[in-house]
Amino acid sequence: MIQLVQTILLGLLIGGVYALFASGLTLIFGVMEIVNVTHAAFLVFAALLTFEIWSRLHIDPLLAILITTPVMFFVGWGTYRLTISRIRSAPVSMSVVLTFALAIAIEGAMGMTWKNVFRSVTPSYFNQSFNIGPFDLPKAQVYGCGAAVVVLVALYLLLSKTWAGRAIRSSSENPQGAQLVGIDIKTVAALTFAIGTATTGAGGSIMSVLYSVFPASLYLWVSRLLGIIVLGGMGSLPGAVIGALALGVAETLTSTYVSNQWAVVVYYIVILVVLLIRPQGIMGFKARQDVVA
Amino acid sequence: MFKRIVVLCAIVAVVATGLVFAGGQQQGGSQSKGPITVGISLPLTGDLSQPGGSAKRGYEVWAELLNKNGGLLGRQVKLNILDDASSQSTIVSDYNRLITQDKVDLLLGTFSSLLNFPASAVAEKHHMVYVEPAGGAPKIFTRGFKYLFFAQPAPAVHQADLFSKWVLSLPANERPKTAAYPTRDDPFTKPVIEGIRAKLEAGGIKTVYQTTYPTTTTNFDTIAAAIKASGADLVAEGAVFQDGVSLIRSMQKINYNPKVLFETSAPSESQQFSSGIGVKNTQGIFYAVSWSPQANTPDNKEFVSTYKEKFGELPPEDAADAFGTAQALEAAVKAVGSTDQNKIKDWLHAHTVNTVEGKLSWDQAGRPQEAFLLAQWQNGASQIVFPKDLSTSNQIVFPKPNWQ
Repeated sequence: MIQLVQTILLGLLIGGVYALFASGLTLIFGVMEIVNVTHAAFLVFAALLTFEIWSRLHIDPLLAILITTPVMFFVGWGTYRLTISRIRSAPVSMSVVLTFALAIAIEGAMGMTWKNVFRSVTPSYFNQSFNIGPFDLPKAQVYGCGAAVVVLVALYLLLSKTWAGRAIRSSSENPQGAQLVGIDIKTVAALTFAIGTATTGAGGSIMSVLYSVFPASLYLWVSRLLGIIVLGGMGSLPGAVIGALALGVAETLTSTYVSNQWAVVVYYIVILVVLLIRPQGIMGFKARQDVVA
Repeated sequence: MFKRIVVLCAIVAVVATGLVFAGGQQQGGSQSKGPITVGISLPLTGDLSQPGGSAKRGYEVWAELLNKNGGLLGRQVKLNILDDASSQSTIVSDYNRLITQDKVDLLLGTFSSLLNFPASAVAEKHHMVYVEPAGGAPKIFTRGFKYLFFAQPAPAVHQADLFSKWVLSLPANERPKTAAYPTRDDPFTKPVIEGIRAKLEAGGIKTVYQTTYPTTTTNFDTIAAAIKASGADLVAEGAVFQDGVSLIRSMQKINYNPKVLFETSAPSESQQFSSGIGVKNTQGIFYAVSWSPQANTPDNKEFVSTYKEKFGELPPEDAADAFGTAQALEAAVKAVGSTDQNKIKDWLHAHTVNTVEGKLSWDQAGRPQEAFLLAQWQNGASQIVFPKDLSTSNQIVFPKPNWQ
């Protein structure tokens, strides 16, 4: 019984971390219909940036989020303006090709800068846990969950309470209409992509504490993050949270009670089952493409 | 503007193609006068880029030292290194290209059993000697190849023999009673762990947990929790790097301290390993290793100092394996006085070679016949503890102290 509860707790915690990693991805897909494979590369880049800040300036990785977030915002802005804006009128599948190519290019650039060496950020809490009765709650995961809550609430407020957020949503729901009322949809698109990328600042920071990271680490995350947002409903923030928690728990339960071999397959099974049964995901909605397009 | 870029790209492409062809023709014509070319494809990007990069540096130091001392057969040596991006299909086309298009004089192997498996088949088909710095998985040697030589002291199954022997030599009341065997799903790590398990089970140590986790596993918390629940005294993990560090971190988080901890490969990456788990926590961790920077083997001192000077760090084991691999090939070429592949193959089968990794000799299938060293982290540095004649430390840390 203790093992079962511990397994579920670990699953929820790692799920919270996954939600943090996936939040920007689902925003970018929901608003822009861009399947952003580069997201995983940005996460690893932010993690390596956190390593530099931590090892050179001795700033705690959690505080470093305040530096990496604006940096990643501008990285996102620049990436959008230079590359992705050019395929906006192309089919969605083109975005996969482009962002995958970008991810490989970024991996190469990181390899030249940081070499193929694993970097670890080890603040005092990296290998510690909060102990509650017989249960261990790893501190880094708990902080990661906290960061996920902050980031997701901030995104939610931004989208629902601010003018920029309303502009983002309106240009995603009806681009022509948004343009008619005077919204500059090109700027809004760049802004959305930049905000989505900015979330990797917090994600990368937690990633650097949880794992040893090197440029090719990004490949571990591409399918995992896509699995999460497919399950939750692509584009839905609450969906990303539910998807991440569900997959976190499914992963730990499978790993403990079935086998580790199956634990990483869970993601692919989830994608298949969701596509068969509920293609729009848990929180997604069925858009009438004939009217929207 | 856009048009201009396209035109510029086209010009660059045409010029580059011309250069490639010119280069190719030039190489084809250089049979005896020019440098001896050595073809290699390494995983310089992708999943295996860490050992791949180390191997590249090891090969480069070898070529530099060799050329400084007059080269091979009076000719300079030129390395032709391609990047296979850690892909099994790319490496096949890479070695095909090196042999048929670039017409290299000699080949050297790549990293990991995964990539050496297909690469060695290409070399065998073209009757080219293929000395590999990694690739000790059992199935590599069961294909009846004659041109394949694995240049590490022992194949995977026997890599940890000295470790098993030490565990079983402990007095019965101190000896671990139960053991856990997590291993990555990797053709190299699995046989090492199976080798340990077979020996320890035969010696009466009960297996209480075993699992094979996929290469893409990132979450080790549940594995650590399951091992803790099993109460194992000894943990032997078949790790590459990231997984080894992650499992130890997860053990630390749940405060689980096995009496004995062995990992393949990961602890040999000295700097990256100790910064990954905290240098205080390395105390007492065992691993098997093919080479040590302190070892008194041919050219080892020169290799270590040149490497340090060039790259600013101690060479990792992977770099030393690459250097030793090249030394083996070099010895054979010098002995037969040519790059005749059949003569080199016969010579290597018949002789023992002395390299930075110590003595290397092979059976008919290319399996090495010597033994790995057993190393242990002690006071923030790795020490050789067995065999006794090569040891750098007289004591063994046992039981492993608690995590800090």
